[in-house]
Order: sequence, then structure tokens, then C-alpha cells
Amino acid sequence: MPIKYGVPSDPDYNERLREFEARIARGEKIEPGDWMPEEYRRQLIRMISQHAHSEVVGMLPEGAWITRAPTLKRKMILVAKVQDEAGHGQYLYHAAETLGISREAMLEALLSGKAKYSSIFNYPTLTWADIGTIGWLVDGAAIKNQTMLAACSYGPYSRAMVRICAEETFHHKQGKEMVLLYAKGTPKQRQMAQDAINRWWWPALMMMGPHDKDSPNTEILVRWGIKTKTNDQVRQEFINEHAPEILEAGLTIPDPELRYDEATGNWIHGPINWDEFWQVVGGNGPMNKERLEARRRAHAEGAWVREALEAYAAKKQKTAVAV
Amino acid sequence: MDTQWPRWEVFKQDTPHKPHQAVGSVHAVDPEHALLTARNVFARRPQAVSLWVARAEDVYAWTQEEILEGLATARADAGLGTACRYLVFRKTSHKRSMTFVDHVGEVEATSPEEALQQAQARFSDTTALAWWIVPADKVYQSDPSPETVESWFAPARDKTYKQQQYYATVGSHISKHKRGRGVEDEE
Amino acid sequence: MRSEVREALIAKLTALADDEVILAHRNSEWVGHGPILEEDIALANIVQDELGHATLWYGLRQQLDGSDPDQLAFFRDANEYRCCELVELPKGDWAFTMLRQYLFDLYEALWLEAARHSTYQPLADAVQKIIREERFHLQHTQAWVERLGQGTEESNRRLQQALEMQWSYAQQLFVPIPGEELLVAEGIVPDLAPIKERWLEHSTRHLQAAGLKLPINPGYQPTSRAYHTEHLWSLLAEMQSTARWDAEAKVW
Repeated sequence: MPIKYGVPSDPDYNERLREFEARIARGEKIEPGDWMPEEYRRQLIRMISQHAHSEVVGMLPEGAWITRAPTLKRKMILVAKVQDEAGHGQYLYHAAETLGISREAMLEALLSGKAKYSSIFNYPTLTWADIGTIGWLVDGAAIKNQTMLAACSYGPYSRAMVRICAEETFHHKQGKEMVLLYAKGTPKQRQMAQDAINRWWWPALMMMGPHDKDSPNTEILVRWGIKTKTNDQVRQEFINEHAPEILEAGLTIPDPELRYDEATGNWIHGPINWDEFWQVVGGNGPMNKERLEARRRAHAEGAWVREALEAYAAKKQKTAVAV
Repeated sequence: MDTQWPRWEVFKQDTPHKPHQAVGSVHAVDPEHALLTARNVFARRPQAVSLWVARAEDVYAWTQEEILEGLATARADAGLGTACRYLVFRKTSHKRSMTFVDHVGEVEATSPEEALQQAQARFSDTTALAWWIVPADKVYQSDPSPETVESWFAPARDKTYKQQQYYATVGSHISKHKRGRGVEDEE
Repeated sequence: MRSEVREALIAKLTALADDEVILAHRNSEWVGHGPILEEDIALANIVQDELGHATLWYGLRQQLDGSDPDQLAFFRDANEYRCCELVELPKGDWAFTMLRQYLFDLYEALWLEAARHSTYQPLADAVQKIIREERFHLQHTQAWVERLGQGTEESNRRLQQALEMQWSYAQQLFVPIPGEELLVAEGIVPDLAPIKERWLEHSTRHLQAAGLKLPINPGYQPTSRAYHTEHLWSLLAEMQSTARWDAEAKVW
């Protein structure tokens, strides 16, 4: 299958680009093997692999609480949720692989510190209520983004997102259930829930990325149907849904300027501390080093396992039954 | 050099009368391992009754665009070997979906390109947006015995905590918080 | 049910559940740290299934004495736990974890097979549910033992090392608890002796086919479930820390 990635120096680039954009405008999906601009491919690999890395690194802050979950049911739910994150990383790496990049290469980029992943996972999980809050706010924010990406013009990314969205609804629900329960619980539970909201609210708002005016990729991503909404639009949707629910639960939001605007129907937030955001993106968040170190260790300790199975397969004949 | 193992395409059948559909891929080292892995990755939730796996490198894929550009017929004369069976998979819609191509049947041909031509002639009821052609002897299936089907796929139905409905009764209805804004996820 | 039979059944259900809870704990320590994504997902499946089995066994006990499963799991001390020592051992490397899981799965699958016809209907019903998952676990871990045993020199060496450590611990799975003979006499649970024979036969064949040698000097074999390894105390301290953090909390 000859894969065609067009560059502006190609003689037919402009013509093909017009056809390509017309296909996207008609709502057609671009599939592996179809002509696409090299820049489209590059942006997709960047986004999808970052997204995959985020799922995989995102297993760590929550995974750390599996052994401390307070009931058998919560433990089971949390294992299922963290497992889904592994699964979603798996689906996303697959989507990126269809663009001709190997998982080995993507992991190398992650482990060497070259590739980015969502900054939210560079914050620590300090109490059990963080698990509920991550489900409610962090997954709530992720779902907003992912629902949008399910409409993405690239077939494999879109399909991965549809599957992920279907699975993730429970992540959001279980988190919300917990926080609402603790908000009405004992004084200690209540205080723990409020403390978690205080720490996760702002990082959750930063998850959608910089304001549109500071997001250089947004225009081309929207034009090529990779994103269908801007960062600020998705952020606004998230606040509109979650702010009233948090307040309704009797909890407070750590933004003294937050207010409801009757005219637009939007909840208007105060200024986001983008210095903090860029610090964390730049590797200086509280957990950047530990998260990467945990991934590197698992990768290194798993090397002999991966080699052993390849060695086995090389020795063995096929044993399963063909169709 | 790191290895993440070879990639296998996975086809899942949801119920006995539905076709196997391409759901994604897994990294595994041999057919048995790929099937076990596919079960863990793609049957964590209902529904499934059967899985097929095939090495990604054994899958021949063409999109409608490639076929229109003559890229599929260009190599048709390359196949001079003996005839063998090929499984045919097809995608027919741009609609929102979590699966790619569906199994539509099989053909006998001497090369994947010839198999594609036969598939185009035989499965012509609707426009195909993409085709996958896979040599039948390169596709491995999960054990169809009722005991294995039960063991591999039935327990997922009991894991109701993975369904959002499990949590549906919690909190006040979202409509309470609405102030004339857009439609939200169903609560 | 006679009261001494009932007491024995409560103790047996507790032992069954405790094994699952502690093994699930050890396996869950891998979540997020597995050797490859696919296997991280696979082990997380096993953990969920084990927690589900524990919930079923505690649930059967609850029907008999009204005890709350979460109270049992999160508010009993180490000396009240009735798990075997094999499941308490630290998770070790991937070979250690896969071998332990295989030895346990084989025991559990054979035990369940024999327990399907229990005269105690609630137990027979639970067995029907659990056995489906256990068959898959066994296929999975059997495949791993074969592959690690026949993979590289290193994987074979690591697996052999794990076997040297675990073989005698695994024998404790076949030591009846006090009063178990009453349950066997009533047909409520199967006799462990023939299960052990089948387990030895199957495991020996499979381990040898994987290129492993059974330990010549197996060493210490724990017997009483009233005693534990020195690991259990700290395992429970971690596992129970949230539940015990707020004594007033009614729901989590």
C-alpha cells in the first residue's frame, strides 16, 4: 500500500489539497492509504501520541490508590477505570500506528522526555477524594475534548474516540458519585472532598490547553476537521456543566471571580495562572520527574519479558486454528 | 532495541448473526497469545461471541481513493501462484462508528489483488469505501466451543460497574442546573 | 444446618475470600507498571475477577452470619485473616507473579470443578459463575508459564527461581482448615486430597514441558492459616488505611 503524504513542493499539491479539504467538508473520513498533507499527518501523530501518552501516564496517579481503596466495590471500579486508561492508550497508539509510526518510536519519545503528555498528571494524588475528583473533573474535561474528537476527520482517530467515549462515561459518573457522597458525608470526608476540588479545579481548566489566541495549531486543526471546537469553547462547556453541580453539592470553587452571566448563559471564570501551566508543561510540575521515572522503570523491567516472548515465538510453530 | 511485539489486527463478532468487524489491534507474539490478548483488550465489556486475529502485515488494504487511482489493479498480474481462500472485509459508511471494515465473505484467488477484483464484482450491492483482503490461512479464530465462548465472553455481562447506568441514580438531575444552555450528556 | 457445620462453612468461605483479596492486592500492584500495555490490561482483568470472587464468597458468609464483606476485608487484623501464605508474598518480578497466578489458578479451577455439585446450593451457584472466569485465567497463565519457560535463558532462570520459592508455599492450598472434614462429609465442599493429586499431575507435566525442574528440596511448607508471613501486617496497613482513616464514615 503506497502511502501518500503530500508536501507543498509536489506539483499537484494544491489541487490535491483542495480535493482533500472538500472531502473533509463533505464529512468523509480520511483513511490510511488516502492522500493527505504531510502536515496533517504530522499534527495527527503529535496529537494522537500525546493523547496516548496521557492515558498511559494517567494510570499512575490513580493507580497508586488501588491498594488503598476503602471498599471492595470502589477497588474494583478503580481497577476497571485504570485498566480502561491502559486500553485507551492502547487504542490510541493503534490509531497513530496507522500513520506509519511504530509504538516503539512513540514510547522512545515519551521515555526520553521528548514527547509531551497532559500536564494534569504531573500533580499528585494526596487523598482518596482525589480519585473521585479526578473522575469528575479531569475525566469530565477529557470527555468534552474526546466527544469533539470523535467527530475528527481521520477515521482511525475518530473510531478510537467513539470507543473511548462510550467507555469513559462511567469514569465520570463514578467520580461524581464519590464526591457528592463525601460532600454529604462526615466532616472529615467533606473536608477531604473540598480540599480535592480546591487542588484540581484550576489544573482541570488548564487541561483544554492555552487560550485560542495563544494556541498556534488550533486554526489548521479546525480547518482540517481534526478539532471541531477551539480550546476556549471546550473549556466553557466544561465550566458550564461542572460549576453549578459543584456548588449545588454544597462545595465551593476556588475562583473568587467565578460568576454566572445571564446574557450568554455562560459561567465566567477568573484569570488562569498560565505561568503555572507552562512551568508544568516545561517539566517543573510537582510530579513530572516521578511520573517519567515510573514509566522508565516499568519499561526497563519489562524488557526481558518482551524479549522472552519474542524468543519463544521464534522457536514455535503456530498452534491456533485458522478460520 | 526495544520490541513492543508485532501487531495483530483484531476482528470481533458481537452476536452469532453479525459479521466480524475490525475493532483495532493488539501487540502479541503468536496466534494463541494474540487471541488471549484480544479477549483481554476488546472483550472487557459486552458483547462478543468470537474473535479473529491476523498479523497486520498479512492484511491487504485499499481505500476507494486508491482503487480509483488504479493502485490496486497495478499489481494484479503479480499473482501467479495457486489459488487460495481470502477473507473479504469492507467499509461502506462514513458514519460515526467504533469499528472499521466488516467481514462480508470470502473469495478464491491467486493473489490479493485478484481477490480484490473478485470481491468488487461479488460484493457490489453498495459502494465500498475501503477493502481488506486477508489470506484465510493467516486468520486465527477463538475456540468456538460453547464452554470457551461462555468462559471468554459471558462474564463481561456481570461487570455492571463499567456501565454508566450503574451510577445513574446519584445526584440531582442535570436539568436542575440548566439555564437554557445546550444539550448535555444524558444523566 | 448444624451449628458446627455452619461454623466450619463460615471459616471455609472466609479462607476462600481472603485468598482472593490478598492475591488481588498483590496483582493490583502491577497496574500501571506492567511489561507492556496489553499485559497490564490482562492482569487488571484478573484483579477485577478476583475481587468479584471475594465479594461472592464474603456474600455467602454474609447470608450465614450477617457479617458485612467490607467490614471483613477492611477492619480485620492480620491475625484474623485466613489467607494462605503464598498469596501474601511480595509480587516479585513478572515471572514470580505469573507463576504464582498459574499455581493458584490451577488449584482454583480444579477445586471449582469438584465443587460444582456442592450440596449447598448457594455455593454451587457461586461456583458456576466463578468457574467461567477461572477457566480463562488458567489458559492465560498456562500460556505465560510455557512462554517464559521456553523463552530466553533469562526468563527460564527467573521462572525457575520463582518455582523454587513458591512450590512448597503452594502446597498449603491443599491443607484442610479445622472442621473442613465436616463440610466434606456433608458434600458441601470437595475433598482436597484428590484435587491435590490432580493438581500435582497437571502442574508437574506443564512445568516440565516448560523446561522447569521441580525443587528437590522444597523447604518450609506453611500449614495453619492462623499464621502468616511477615508481609501481611504491612499489606493490610496499606489496604485498610483509607477505610480506617475516618471511624465515623458510614459510606464510601
